[in-house]
Amino acid sequence: MSDKEYRRVLLGNVAIARGILEAGCHVITSYPGTPSSEIMPAAVAFKKEMGLDVYTEWSVNEKVAYDNALAASIAGKRSAVAMKQVGLNVAADSLMSSAYQGVVGGMLIVSCDDPGPHSSQTEQDSRFFAMFAKVPVYDPSSPQEAMAMIKDAYDLSEAFQIPVILRPTIRLSHGKQSVKLSTPEEIERPAHFEKDPGRWAATPRFRLQLHTKLNESLRQIQERFENDKRWNYEVGKNTGINLGIITCSTSFTVLMDLLDELDLKDKVNILKIGTPYPLPLARAVDFIDRHEKVLIIEETDVVIESQIIDKSKVLGRFSGHIPLQGELTPNVIHGILAKFFRENGVADLDTSADDELAKLVQELELPVRRPTLCAGCPERAAFWAIRRALPKAIYTSDIGCYTLGLNLGAVDTVIDMGAGITLASGFYQAYHQDKNDIPIVATMGDSTFFHSGTSSLINAVYNNARFILVILDNEITAMTGMQPTPGIGVTADGTEGRKIPLEDLITGCGIRWLRTIDPYNVKELIGLLKEAHAYVKSEEGGIAVIIARHPCLIKYQEELQIDRIKVEITEDCNGCRYCIDYFECPALSFDEANNRAEIDRKLCVDCGVCINVCAQGAIVEVDREND
Amino acid sequence: MKIQIILAGVGGQGILFSSRLFSDLGLKLGLEVTGAETHGMSQRGGSVVAHIKIGGYQSPIIRGGTADILYSLDENEAYKNLHFVKQGGHCFVNMVDGDRFNKNILDHLKKKNISVHAFDASGMAMEMGSVRAANICLIGYSVGTGSVPFTYEDLKDVLKSISRKSDLEQNLQIFDTSVARGKQ
Repeated sequence: MSDKEYRRVLLGNVAIARGILEAGCHVITSYPGTPSSEIMPAAVAFKKEMGLDVYTEWSVNEKVAYDNALAASIAGKRSAVAMKQVGLNVAADSLMSSAYQGVVGGMLIVSCDDPGPHSSQTEQDSRFFAMFAKVPVYDPSSPQEAMAMIKDAYDLSEAFQIPVILRPTIRLSHGKQSVKLSTPEEIERPAHFEKDPGRWAATPRFRLQLHTKLNESLRQIQERFENDKRWNYEVGKNTGINLGIITCSTSFTVLMDLLDELDLKDKVNILKIGTPYPLPLARAVDFIDRHEKVLIIEETDVVIESQIIDKSKVLGRFSGHIPLQGELTPNVIHGILAKFFRENGVADLDTSADDELAKLVQELELPVRRPTLCAGCPERAAFWAIRRALPKAIYTSDIGCYTLGLNLGAVDTVIDMGAGITLASGFYQAYHQDKNDIPIVATMGDSTFFHSGTSSLINAVYNNARFILVILDNEITAMTGMQPTPGIGVTADGTEGRKIPLEDLITGCGIRWLRTIDPYNVKELIGLLKEAHAYVKSEEGGIAVIIARHPCLIKYQEELQIDRIKVEITEDCNGCRYCIDYFECPALSFDEANNRAEIDRKLCVDCGVCINVCAQGAIVEVDREND
Repeated sequence: MKIQIILAGVGGQGILFSSRLFSDLGLKLGLEVTGAETHGMSQRGGSVVAHIKIGGYQSPIIRGGTADILYSLDENEAYKNLHFVKQGGHCFVNMVDGDRFNKNILDHLKKKNISVHAFDASGMAMEMGSVRAANICLIGYSVGTGSVPFTYEDLKDVLKSISRKSDLEQNLQIFDTSVARGKQ
C-alpha cells in the first residue's frame, strides 16, 4: 500500500505531529509545555512506526529549540519547532530576527495557545506575535484542517523564504477528530549552507534591506491569502440576510454546531478566516460591506478585529459584545449569539440555565478536587522541611509540579520559567539595600533549572546575592508528561545522550556550598537547611544550594525500590488537622465523625514521611513483625 | 446516529481508555468523530472529563444541557457534570449503593425526564479480579439496559481492538458479564 490513506481518531497535537511528518519535515525540536507537550512524543512514535529518518530533539528551552530548527531550515531542510504560547516569549528574540533573515527550507513554528487559561500564566494570543514579528500565521479550526494547513504552510514558507506560525488553541490541541492520514512526502534535502553574510550575519545597514524585502513578501502573501479559498471562505451565502459573522479557530466549529443545533443557519452569513495575518483585508471589508451588522468572534484577542479600520458596522470586543478574557466555550458563544440575534430582531434564544440543578448540586458541598502533589511526592517532603526549618523566609518558586507547593504555604511567588532564582536574588538586593537581610528560599525543578536556571544563578553569584536555592530534582519533567532532561541524559526518541550532572553545572556557576540529599530524610533535610542558612549569613557566605533528589513516583513507579514504611494513626490523634492542612497528602483524610485523621490505603505509597509531621506522634510505623 | 457523550471521573479511572472506546466505535460505524480530553492534571488527582461527539459535529466540546449520555465513574463527579445532560438523557453512575443518590436531585432530573442508572461498577470489577476495569463494567451495563444506541457486537469488536493483549480476555469477560447484569 504505497499511497495508503486511512482514517484514525487522533488527538489534535498528534494530528499536528502527523501533519508535520507528512509534509516531509526533517528536523523537529520542542520544549514541553501544556498544551503543546504531546506533539514531540507523537512525532517520535510516528517516526518509529514508519521508519522515518527525522531528527527529533527535546531542547533545553524554547529559544534553543527555535534556533536549532532554524539552522536546519537555513541549511535547506524542512524544520518544525513546537512550544506553548508563553514559550514563544522565550523564543521571541530568535523569531523577530529570523523574520528578517528568513529561511531556505520551510520552517513551521507551532505555538499552542491556552484560552481559559487552563494551564498557563497568561491568555496571550500568539497571532499577535505573528503580527509583531511580521510572519504569516495559520489559525486552524480542527485537527484535520491543521494537517492540511501544515502542508500549505511549508509551501508558503519555502516560496517566500519566511518562517510561518501555526496557532492551535488548547481545544484543538487536546481535542480529538477522525482524520485522514496519508504517507509522508519524501523530500531529499542534503544539508547545504550557502554563505551570505549580508543575510545570515546582517549588520543594521543590511537589516533595513531585509526589512524592506520582508514587507514586500508580506504584501505578496496577503495577495495570496486574498485569493485563497481553502482557509478563508464564506459559509451560507444567504441572500437578503443583513447579519454576518467573521470567525476563526475552534470558535468557528463551535459556531457551526450551535447554528445547526438551533436551526439558525439561514439567518446569518459567515466568513471563516484561516489566515488572520496577513489578513485578507479586502475580503473581510467586502463581507462587512454586504451586511448591516457583522460580529467578529475570535480567540483569544482582537487580531482580526483590530485590523478592520472602519468599525461602524462591526461588533466584537471593542463594542462590548465579546468578553475580553476567558475561553469562548459553547455556553459563552451561545450567550454572545443570543444577544446578537436579540438586538437585531432575528431570534430570541433560550439562555436560561438549569439554576435549580446548580443550586441542588451546590447544596451537596462536594469537595473541590484541586490539583495536589501526589501521595508520596518527594517535593512535598522538601516543602514541608523548608517551612519547618525557615518558617519566616520568603519562598520564591517556579513553574512545574512544585508550583503546587502553594498548597503547603511554601511557595510565595511564581512568575515565569527561571524567576524562582532571579526573584530570590532581586529580593535579596532590594532588602540588602535597606540593610535588612531576611531569609529567602528559592525552589526550582530540575528541568526548569536546565531551561533557564543557570543564567539566573550565574547572575546571582556574580552580584553577591545571598539566599538558599533548593533544586527539586525528580529526574524528569513531570508536570507536562514525563519528558527526559539533560540530567538523565536520555533524548527525545529514547537514544542515549550525554548526561549533565546538576552538581557539575551548579559548581560551574560558582557555587561554593552544595549538598545533595534525599528529601524523604526530612529531619536531615531540616538540619541541612539550617546549616545552609548559617552559611548564607556567615561573613564568607554566599548562595547555598541543596539538591533534593528523589525520583518522581509516577515516572519511576515500577523501577523504584523504596524502603516501604507502612504507617498507621494511633489513638493519640487529637484531631488537630495539622497533617491535613499543612502536609496535604492525598492519602490522608479527616474522619469528621470520629474527629481524627485516617489513611487511605489505596493511595498511600508507604513513604513514611508523614511520621515526621504529627506533633502528637500519632502517625507511627506499623510494627513490621505484626503486619 | 448523532450522539454526544460525557465521560467523567478522577485521574486513573480509565476515562481516556473509555474515550478511545467510543471514538473508535464512531470510526467503525463510518461516522465523523470529534471530542475533547483533559490532559496534564489527571495524574495529580484532579477531576477528568472527556467529551465525545459522534455523527457529524464539528466542534470538540459539548454545550451544557445537550449531552445524550453521561457516564460517571465517581458519584461526586456525576453531580458536577449533570448540567451537561439534555432533557430525556441518560446518566450511568458508578456507586456502591444506588439508593444513596441524592433524592432531591433525582426528583429534579425526573421532571426533565432524565434517567439515572446507578450501578456498582467498581464492586463488579473487583469481583472479576480487575479493579481498574470499572469503566468497562459501567459501559457494558449501559448496553445491557438497552437505553443506549450502541450494539453489543460493535462495542465488543472495538474493545477487542483497543485492549492490551494481556488484558484482552479479562476485558471481554468483564464486558459480557456487565452486559448480562444490565439486562437483569
